[in-house]
Amino acid sequence: MRRTVLVTLAICAVAFTAAAHGNYKHVLGVVTAITDTSLTVETQTKETQVVKIVADTSFVKSGAPSSLKELKVGDRVVIHAKPVGSDLVAHEVRFGRMDRASGSAGKN
Amino acid sequence: MKRSQVWLLSLFVALIAAAVAAPLAWFVAAGISARQKPGPIETRVARTARHFMIPASAREMKNPETATPEVLELARNHFADHCAGCHANDGSGASEMGHHLYPRAPDMREDQTQNLSDGELYYIIENGVRLTGMPAWGRGGYDDEDTWGLVLFIRQLPHLTKKDLDEMEQFNPRSPAEMQEEEEERRFLNGEPAPRGKNPNH
Repeated sequence: MRRTVLVTLAICAVAFTAAAHGNYKHVLGVVTAITDTSLTVETQTKETQVVKIVADTSFVKSGAPSSLKELKVGDRVVIHAKPVGSDLVAHEVRFGRMDRASGSAGKN
Repeated sequence: MKRSQVWLLSLFVALIAAAVAAPLAWFVAAGISARQKPGPIETRVARTARHFMIPASAREMKNPETATPEVLELARNHFADHCAGCHANDGSGASEMGHHLYPRAPDMREDQTQNLSDGELYYIIENGVRLTGMPAWGRGGYDDEDTWGLVLFIRQLPHLTKKDLDEMEQFNPRSPAEMQEEEEERRFLNGEPAPRGKNPNH
């Protein structure tokens, strides 16, 4: 019974978090592989996460518009991605150092 | 009283009773839940009623503002800050709030909104619409420059670019939790470890 309650609460918490973030999942990690259509990221919990890149994906380097070409293996990234089926599709990929003024790239 | 007159009177009373009872029965059956979308008849009736309840003098008002780049940018940022929570930055209504309002936030890029006159749009923004989620944003006068700017911007909704939408995101309201998350993401990008106890991949 206790387990059921805990699982239910956990599901509610995850659902609330997803809603608060406009249904984008936030992936923080280090880039381990780059292709034209995907990024592979090792997260802080040492999990590997593959995120798809599409034409609408925007890249922001240090608060300024950028492109996939400027991203390198080993860069730290913050990816706001939308779950589509079993995939994650990147809406925005941020990388590069951010000062406080350029740190606000908007709500996702 | 003649027999035919009694019949007519009875018929009249029955029609009145049906006219009152039918919507009452529908309302009781439907309850107050906002989970369902309004049906086509309710939508038609509500829009028609809204049209006739906006005074003709207001419907015919002309926009005194001109769609200069400065006015449109100001209105765009104003829309992102005040309206997008329900209407979404692109005006599609595809927001967490917009999807769950009764009636749903409309897709303002479509004819049902774009065919409204400038005066109607102004009146709705200023005065709101009862029994919907649309609040009254103005004081009720006819000379609010910000509202007229919004009317101009609403005309631009079908033509917004991705750059417009990206810039609008900077003006969307953020909760304290979202601001904290942005700060944590900024610190992560600057080489600091991810915050303790926080799953960075949620």
